[in-house]
Amino acid sequence: MRVGAGIAFCLVSLLLSYAPARADFEMHYPVIDYREAEIEHNGSTSFDNRSSMNNNQSYTIELGYGVTPWWEPELEFDLAAAPGQNWNYNATTFENTFQLTEQGEYWADLGFFAEYQHAASRLDADAINFGPLVQKEWNNALGSGLNTLHTLNLLVSKEVGRNRNDATPLAVSWQSRLELDPLFQPGVEYYGNFNNIAGPTTMSDPTHRIGPVIVGAYNMYQYGKLKYEAGYLVGLNNATERGTIRWRLEYEKSF
Amino acid sequence: MILQIIRNMLPAGIEGVAIMARRLAVIALLFLYASVASARAQEPANFNIAIKEHHFEPAELDVPAGIKFTVTVKNLNDTAAEFESTVLNREKVVVGGASITVYLGPLTPGSYEFFNDFDPDARGHIVVK
Repeated sequence: MRVGAGIAFCLVSLLLSYAPARADFEMHYPVIDYREAEIEHNGSTSFDNRSSMNNNQSYTIELGYGVTPWWEPELEFDLAAAPGQNWNYNATTFENTFQLTEQGEYWADLGFFAEYQHAASRLDADAINFGPLVQKEWNNALGSGLNTLHTLNLLVSKEVGRNRNDATPLAVSWQSRLELDPLFQPGVEYYGNFNNIAGPTTMSDPTHRIGPVIVGAYNMYQYGKLKYEAGYLVGLNNATERGTIRWRLEYEKSF
Repeated sequence: MILQIIRNMLPAGIEGVAIMARRLAVIALLFLYASVASARAQEPANFNIAIKEHHFEPAELDVPAGIKFTVTVKNLNDTAAEFESTVLNREKVVVGGASITVYLGPLTPGSYEFFNDFDPDARGHIVVK
């Protein structure tokens, strides 16, 4: 698996030389569900007393399949409504998650994420987002008897094609949760967006959000599995909305 | 030379991404190297399970507490199975006639259930003592 995933990782790294920051709130996990098809919905909406930052909405529908034990491609359809504006079909995105290590074999599990986002409007640039996915399972944390799961995403973006800009944003996502019960796993997550990591002098207005999240899954065995995530994120600085609700619903089934 | 040709083919604005991709690749490789080196230092204990018709053999595995270990799951059926444990956060498909390795632990004493997600009547336990 590692050889194939390594080759794919290198190929994607080269291709990545062709990607904008997407301020969505979605945690990517580095473990592939081989031979499982999934349909997933992600959504978020913001709250702020400033009209320019209130009711910023984003919704996605994704279809994916674990083609190999180390590769899961997904097709994503993005809808968004900026504050005070109508709904727009925003983009069509081709996502790829690569599992680079066997789950639990090393100190942490490593994956790689790469997506190509094709903007619906000719006025917007296409984009590539890519970067490592790291997950650490920490059982019996600090001798508490509690099992915990920690996930980190570091995704760099680059716009390509017409109307692109040369900034290189970085999106940092962190989630730590308690594996109390498959149905109910409470945790904390952080989402940070840095506008341009390639030119520190132009780095302005990063956004920081942190808040509680609950994650769970309900197994219906041969009828598939339902998964959910729901979180409330608090803006930590002036450039960030005061509050954001985000959710994820997923149905997956093996074939 | 090949890299130079590829670089020349790319528009100027994309150089930054290529550099970033290389840096991320280096970080990933360093991580893998460190992980492999530490893993080789302590080879985990291995336990075997077979999936035969509609059950696991053995259906109960005794494992010491506090160690990292592997479970090799061999599927003796012609059809695919999925070794799954919600409590252990593992889910892995094993096609007919093949085997997989599942990395687990260290675990605290207790009984951890696993099952075949494609045939949920087939169940077993890892008993950690």
